[in-house]
Amino acid sequence: MDKIWIILEREYLQRVKKKSFILSTILTPLIFPLFIAITVFVLSTEESEERIILLLDENNLIEDSLEFQNNVLIKSYVEISDIQYQIDNGQVYGALEIPKLDIYDPKDLKFYSKNVPGGDLINGLESLIESRIRDLKIQDLNLNEESLKKLKTRILMETYTIDLDLTEDSDDEVAVKQSNSDIAFGLGYFNGFLIYMFVFIYGSFILQSVLDEKTSKVVEVIVSSIKPIQLMMGKVLGVGAVAFTQIFIWIILVTFISTLTSMYFGINSYETTQIIQSEEEISNSKEMVKGIYEMFGTIDIKKTILIFLIYFLGGFFLYGAFFAAIGSAVDNLQDASQFTLPISLPIIASLMFMGIVLNNPEGNASIFLSMFPLTSPILMMARLSFGVPDWHLFISILILIISVVFALWFAGRIYRVGILTSGSKISYKLLWKWFIMKNY
Amino acid sequence: MLSVKNISKSYVDHKALDDVSFEVNKGSIFGLLGPNGAGKTSMIRIINQIINQDEGAIYLNDKEITYDDVRKIGYMPEERGLYKKMKVGDFLLFMGKLKGLSRDKCIDSAADWFENLEVSNWWKKNIEDLSKGMSQKVQFISTVIHNPDLIILDEPFSGFDPVNANLVKKNLLRMKEDGKTIIFSTHRLESVDELCDNLAMINNSKKILDGNTDEIKMNAKSDNYIIKHNNKISPNDKLFSIVSQSKLSNKLYESELSLKKGKSYRNMFSEISNDVDIISFEQKVPNMNDIFIMKVEEGKNG
Repeated sequence: MDKIWIILEREYLQRVKKKSFILSTILTPLIFPLFIAITVFVLSTEESEERIILLLDENNLIEDSLEFQNNVLIKSYVEISDIQYQIDNGQVYGALEIPKLDIYDPKDLKFYSKNVPGGDLINGLESLIESRIRDLKIQDLNLNEESLKKLKTRILMETYTIDLDLTEDSDDEVAVKQSNSDIAFGLGYFNGFLIYMFVFIYGSFILQSVLDEKTSKVVEVIVSSIKPIQLMMGKVLGVGAVAFTQIFIWIILVTFISTLTSMYFGINSYETTQIIQSEEEISNSKEMVKGIYEMFGTIDIKKTILIFLIYFLGGFFLYGAFFAAIGSAVDNLQDASQFTLPISLPIIASLMFMGIVLNNPEGNASIFLSMFPLTSPILMMARLSFGVPDWHLFISILILIISVVFALWFAGRIYRVGILTSGSKISYKLLWKWFIMKNY
Repeated sequence: MLSVKNISKSYVDHKALDDVSFEVNKGSIFGLLGPNGAGKTSMIRIINQIINQDEGAIYLNDKEITYDDVRKIGYMPEERGLYKKMKVGDFLLFMGKLKGLSRDKCIDSAADWFENLEVSNWWKKNIEDLSKGMSQKVQFISTVIHNPDLIILDEPFSGFDPVNANLVKKNLLRMKEDGKTIIFSTHRLESVDELCDNLAMINNSKKILDGNTDEIKMNAKSDNYIIKHNNKISPNDKLFSIVSQSKLSNKLYESELSLKKGKSYRNMFSEISNDVDIISFEQKVPNMNDIFIMKVEEGKNG
């Protein structure tokens, strides 16, 4: 055990002292808010080149010289003759053709341009035309705008979860907690994605580290004083400790930053949201922000973090073992890619299944995927914020632990042969032979 | 001290060792000789328990070798390297700790070895900044930092420049005098004459010869003589035949003469000295390369 510790210590210190580690640990939690801030800034100040759209409108739906969106100018046009030429040589961006319409069945509207137009523009034009047609319909049907407004209803359902254990165990008088499925969705996605990222990044660190030892030929010097399985364990644990350190610092930094932002939103929520145009959206986004903080108040943060760490370590060791085995078998990074692909598949698939799990967290598929060890680290975390029965968690974690032990054993058997073998062409058949080899 | 008994080892696709046995005496230097691919590295890895034999056993001081014994061996593999991103001192500490050394002992021992190998103190140097010769020395120090009684070196001289190779040889002989036992392997058979007391030759996974170096050489001695002289030697069919004769300079010839069976070299000497002035006269002793080739040929014929 003390030998594993020596390996772990070296691996850990080497990595933690690296500038890239220090930078990524400190900057990443800052980069996401920064990224959002930059996007917001760019969007609010965006000034694109003026684009002219020629309008062939037989209904007078849209007035001449309408400024539309950012620097899009809609100009009426009568002649159709040289329109194609004007579009092709870039004099105008495009042309909108609205034939004589039946307002109850509008069709054959066309937009011409040199390049495929962006979704924003087309959606904008469509909703512009829709609202004009709506106005016409109101007139046609002799309705008035006031009564129409009264027709509109907006319902916001508040969702609550009931947990009777809570009343028995604690001082809380109500067992009913307010919940928010949007936020559970977001939180589930965030947690799942975080594990996905860590398994990938740190898994490839293990692969890299094993491969480095093999190519720098230092490995045989070391296995003369330590068993290969101890070396592998020390390495996986060492890289794991680095990952743990990083996530720990992140949790602290994020808590700190979010405390700051919550204070900021509390004081001045209007300024940050002013780029969102309609009032409805402003109130929505305010609600979102408020909701997120309320939600964090209602979820059991301690339990979430604990379970996150369990799945994080479980997923890391499970995939880390495979990455270690691959790193030991191949001679260079290029050869590694053909073996990392099948191992990456379940991780990538987990991310794709996340939609299924988040939309129906209690479906059979979701339950299965949150139990299956190759997908459970990501998908149980996705389920978690919707509430998961304790026995589901228990079984899932048990399966994961057994799988980790099995994976480490499996990887160890390949590793002991792989690290001392170079120059042979690695195939699955050969790996299997190494695995079943009794004496090595 | 170390006995290797009937070791066999097969890999997935070929046999690496076939019933190989030999003895290594305490306080001696033992050479494991053979061409590349003969099975030397497999043998050494088995002694170090990096891989396991299929059959046979290794005994250390009459007891089967254990994993704890292996830890005490100073082993320098053929495939050797250093962590490029570490400092020399950190690496030596790391290796020392793996061998069970305390930090202080590590530092002391490293300082001694820096002196022995005629290097200044590199403790704080980055390994990636070392020259090739320098990193070879660090490699050697990391092998012997725990002052092992048994030292096993796989192809120790490959990759060493002549100056460093000599320095290592000098240190191996010094360690032998201190009572250490040293085993090394090499495919450069001619380089070991002066170094090893005993040796074993392996070819195609089988041992073809072992024993005391001097005895092996004496046994393989031929009846050929190398003579330097100042004039042409005339043939003498009864006493010897001339294998080769070449003129090195105006008054210097070198000849290889083969003595006829049952004749004495004294007669040959006096016979020749009637003819020419003899400058040097020595029996041709085969080097290990010749002996190896001889043995391989014998094996093929027999």
